[in-house]
Amino acid sequence: MKNELKMPKLRPEMERGVLCAWLKEPGEAYHKGEAIFEIETEKVVNQVEAEQDGVMGRQLVEEGDEVAVGAPIAEVED
Amino acid sequence: MIYIETGSDNVYFNFGLELYFAAEKKLDEPVLLFWRTTPTLMVGKYQNTLEEINQTYAEQHGIQVVRRLSGGGTIYTDPGGWQFTFIDYNEDAQITFTQYIAPVVDALRALGVPAEFNGRNDLVIEGKKFSGNAQYKQGGTTVHHGSLLFSTDIAQMVASTTVDPYKILSKSIKSVRDRVTNIFEHLPQPMDTDAFKRHMVRYLMRGSEKTYTPTAQDLARIRELARERFDNWQCKYGANPKFEIVKTGRFAGGKMEFRLTVKKGVIQGAAVSGDFFAAERAEGLAQCVIGCAYEKSAVLAALQNANMDGAVYGVSAAEIAALITE
Repeated sequence: MKNELKMPKLRPEMERGVLCAWLKEPGEAYHKGEAIFEIETEKVVNQVEAEQDGVMGRQLVEEGDEVAVGAPIAEVED
Repeated sequence: MIYIETGSDNVYFNFGLELYFAAEKKLDEPVLLFWRTTPTLMVGKYQNTLEEINQTYAEQHGIQVVRRLSGGGTIYTDPGGWQFTFIDYNEDAQITFTQYIAPVVDALRALGVPAEFNGRNDLVIEGKKFSGNAQYKQGGTTVHHGSLLFSTDIAQMVASTTVDPYKILSKSIKSVRDRVTNIFEHLPQPMDTDAFKRHMVRYLMRGSEKTYTPTAQDLARIRELARERFDNWQCKYGANPKFEIVKTGRFAGGKMEFRLTVKKGVIQGAAVSGDFFAAERAEGLAQCVIGCAYEKSAVLAALQNANMDGAVYGVSAAEIAALITE
């Protein structure tokens, strides 16, 4: 099923985060619990883990882009 | 809380130790480290080293360069300051700073130092910063580390972080420059750096006297992590986020300008212009540096292999390599 990854909210006052690194390439499969991208906000580098098994699809933002919380950042196939 | 004495002022070893107890050997309780470094510039994980540090000054003064695994900006540390690290196996995805910073503020206030938070998770005295804090979270573990300026060489800090005004375009995280101060200036009673450490560790351990001493096996793996994850060119410079840089040199025969795109530490695009040469010669010069590491000896070797030494009248390959990379 097609789905979207979104910029997570990691603290109540967080409004934006920088997508610093994609840890999976488009087409690459991943398992629940695997780190799939890395964000930086408020001097914290955070590896974000997959909530379920899936395959990385089209990435909608580039490494280094600052994105609003909740904005779609990639298409995935669950 | 368990205290681990790192027994080292080598920043690569200490970051290796931090990573080891965060990711590979998890203890039963949170861990506290309290350590210091030889003169060192620490850049944030997603910063561009070239935009943040004065490389020439750092080399001339024997200052180490390291890329942290945490976010934020560049700091300068030396034996006049202390670093503290909390390793917390809390599995909590939410970010909190207060629980790690509040005990530091309390410990300082107990000494009569009027320490306060500011809005960016730094600690200040009378509005001047003396502690920067940053974190990384991976695999359910939070590593919170902070610096404490006690009697740090502020002049060297300023000189080593004052960067030549290159024209660099990148999406890297930029440092914020603050006014800074040393803690010792605000102590009602004089205290040496080691006594200060003993006070801070006792306070941050909150009555616990538990310690852990790394085994020979631990130390061997920590040294491996130090080499593989911190103390190498790829980690310090190759991991810079993609950037574009313009380097302009003036020689006896005129001006020479390189426009370079560097990704994962490798020159991916190059264009040269200048008063020296015809377009085809400029194209040849640009082509021979594409694909090589953005590092002086690699660029020099590429220029020499392509017989560029002496190809530009009055400018040696070494001078071109220095122009490109310094």
